Amino acid sequence: MLLIHRSQRAANAVRTVSPGGELFVASVVICMIMASFGDAVDPTVLGEAGLEFALFDLGGEFSVLAMRHWHLLQLLLAGAALAAGITVLRVCSTIFYRALRPAPAGGVEKVPIKL
Amino acid sequence: MELEFFSAAFLSALLAIILIDLVLAGDNALIIGLVARNLPKNTQNKVIFWGTFGAIAIRAAMAILVVYILNVPGFMLGGGLALVWIARKLLTPEPDAAANHLAKAPAATFAGAVRTIVIADAVMGVDNVLAIGGAAHGSILLIVLGLAISVPIIVWGSQLVIKLVDRYPSVILLGGAVLAWTAYSMIVREPMLVAWFEAHPATKLVVAILIFSISLGPWYTERLSEQMKPLVVLLPALLVWMLAFEVAASVWKVQVDYLLARDQGEYLLEGLRWMGWLPLAALFLWVREQLIQRSRRTARG
Repeated sequence: MLLIHRSQRAANAVRTVSPGGELFVASVVICMIMASFGDAVDPTVLGEAGLEFALFDLGGEFSVLAMRHWHLLQLLLAGAALAAGITVLRVCSTIFYRALRPAPAGGVEKVPIKL
Repeated sequence: MELEFFSAAFLSALLAIILIDLVLAGDNALIIGLVARNLPKNTQNKVIFWGTFGAIAIRAAMAILVVYILNVPGFMLGGGLALVWIARKLLTPEPDAAANHLAKAPAATFAGAVRTIVIADAVMGVDNVLAIGGAAHGSILLIVLGLAISVPIIVWGSQLVIKLVDRYPSVILLGGAVLAWTAYSMIVREPMLVAWFEAHPATKLVVAILIFSISLGPWYTERLSEQMKPLVVLLPALLVWMLAFEVAASVWKVQVDYLLARDQGEYLLEGLRWMGWLPLAALFLWVREQLIQRSRRTARG
């Protein structure tokens, strides 16, 4: 029996995990798959086609092809950065869409427009 | 392979080992308590000491053994496949996990109690030692550090580990992901397959997605709707299908790439590779639907 099974929450981690923790681990897994993608693609083939910068060098700073050399620590940091980025995007888009939502028709703040 | 001390690779391997130690730690304290509960008080103390000592000794022996075993061709692949199963089992929810003990009956003698504790630790520690062996990349220093970290967890740290995973269950998910990553790196480092992977680099991505889709299956199954649940079987099966054609092409020296096909047979093979899975997937969905309907009828009647 595993030690973690002494805790009901840990034994059912896939059900009890927090959304933030889940987003972080999912981001790490995405980074791991991207690293294996970098490992699977032969850069010379892409170089001959002139595609290595067009497709895989994101913003000229970060290359998916170079991720093949990344270790777990770097993948965890990249996963944390990706999760933070997704969270910021989610918060910003929520604020944006909330601002776009029309006020209730009978609300006091509703500007009456009569033609 | 010896990793440079305090390099990123070394610290990453150490972090992986710590995570593996945390999520795969066996509940020795509970086993000792269960086995020794009917023994006299003075014998109980001796059982606790010798049981713990035996558990540490067997763990050290297995750790040394695994370093040599993983150098034998084929064992890296076998170890990687075993880690996929271990990661999947780790993430599978267990509603009444506390009821599953390796030692249910109390021992009547001192020797019997120590033997049960040592055997239980050996059984519980196999996955831990295998995963540490894979994550250590053959570095003896990392194996020793892994052992130095797992022993205090065995002896004193159980409450700390329980509190940590109870507060942050995401540690378990991260442990499962690290196990899957370790399994991938073990499989692609298998000496018998290194040359094949060099010749077929794209298959590395297929293998990685296949490993993650099987290992993390219990996690994403929880998030899928009932209609999407067949994906849990279909996605890995499709990847295995594609991989099997690549392996078959290497074994029987046939061309499965349509751009390089030379005769009608090879074009047919290529067609089978891309389309052949469709009727099988349809058959699977039909059989699954029939089984669901039958179980519903049985439940009603």
